[in-house]
Amino acid sequence: MRKPDSALLLVGSPKPGASSSASLGGYLQERLAAHGVASETIAVARALKTEEGARALLTAVAATDLVVLSFPLYVDSLPAPVVRAFELIADARAKNAPGARPAAPVPDAPAKPGFVAICQCGFPEAEHDLVALEICANFARAAGFEWAGGLAMGGGGLIGGQPLGARGGLLRSVTRALDLSATELADGRPVPAEAARLMSKPAFPAFAYRFIANRGWRTELKNKGATTPLDARPYV
Amino acid sequence: MTPQAIRTALLLDGGRDDDPTLALVHQALAETLAAGGWHVDGWLLRDEPIAWCAGCFGCWVKTPGVCVHTDAGREVAARVARSDLLVYLTPVTFGGYSSELKKALDHVIPILLPDLKKSGSDTRHPQRYRRVHDLLGVGTVPAGEADGAEAHTFRRLVGRNALNVCPTRWAAGVVESGSGTREVRTAVAALLGQIGVSSPPLAMPVALEVTP
Repeated sequence: MRKPDSALLLVGSPKPGASSSASLGGYLQERLAAHGVASETIAVARALKTEEGARALLTAVAATDLVVLSFPLYVDSLPAPVVRAFELIADARAKNAPGARPAAPVPDAPAKPGFVAICQCGFPEAEHDLVALEICANFARAAGFEWAGGLAMGGGGLIGGQPLGARGGLLRSVTRALDLSATELADGRPVPAEAARLMSKPAFPAFAYRFIANRGWRTELKNKGATTPLDARPYV
Repeated sequence: MTPQAIRTALLLDGGRDDDPTLALVHQALAETLAAGGWHVDGWLLRDEPIAWCAGCFGCWVKTPGVCVHTDAGREVAARVARSDLLVYLTPVTFGGYSSELKKALDHVIPILLPDLKKSGSDTRHPQRYRRVHDLLGVGTVPAGEADGAEAHTFRRLVGRNALNVCPTRWAAGVVESGSGTREVRTAVAALLGQIGVSSPPLAMPVALEVTP
């Protein structure tokens, strides 16, 4: 992996406004900037709504030294727009560099750009994210990137689309994980194992997270003025 | 067969138009299931303008069980809820599903409840409906890659999905691109056999992974 001068943050949340994925990626982006790595941000779903946006995404990916993808877990995997972006990026890179899956490293070949992924889910356990990160690693290798590692976070509801600094000490392990990752990535090295461990460390016990989340859904139901119960079965 | 005995298989086909092998798989599945008395609900997703799930959770807290958007994405939960067998067809895409299949699968969350419940060592969402679906995932991979990393990830992904759908039985397998009709039919028969739909053939030229 090459030592990056530039980074590109791809926000994989399809939400139009603030998102926890943007918060996580934005924090890492700030830390990379502190190490002298300039970066830009593209919201994947918004970009892919137009051909012009898709072209801009592909151009930005081709120009960067390090891609940072931050996304929410959707049904054990990546959100559909991120998968679409993967398909487009892989196709574009295969056209520009035929044989993007070399059987062995080529001597004196230029170092590849890096690809790092952050996945967060609404379950308290980070293990739910692991298959999605495996898909990211497969993509990175297939598309000619150097896989720089994945960071899996459970309890994504704790972020709530807020900047990480606004959540006080609740996300201390997460910010520490991203600090460590930024230091290594800025030097052209993958995220360290300690960062992955800290990122997946629960902020508090799973039973407490479940209790708070389940109360939250019922409060939301009232706030939204739903006229049917939470456990309605409209398609029986 | 009485009308009550007719079972419905929903084939969610995430194939692109350049994947003749997946088209063969779809055809073999549809014909085998129909011959066994199943009602086959085949859905070619690339023809459907389904908006990407925005993650708004309106289907949990605003209109429980129903997507707040009114395009064909709303149909996904309805058709899944009324099926007995759920089949995912896809070119294996870096170990996952194609964007065409995923745009539909992202709309299945209305069949779950928002509550978080402990399930073994994990937390999961309970089912909204009592109806139990079997689950089958079939992917195509490039020739020679049936045992590769992406095929392995694909089987793990279907297995993770199975934990969420809570099927009685599930199976996942891949077919190599360029396989002929005979190979595809053998593979399909084997996979269906593993979930109790038909007897597996003697030879299995594809890699399979199945739960008891």
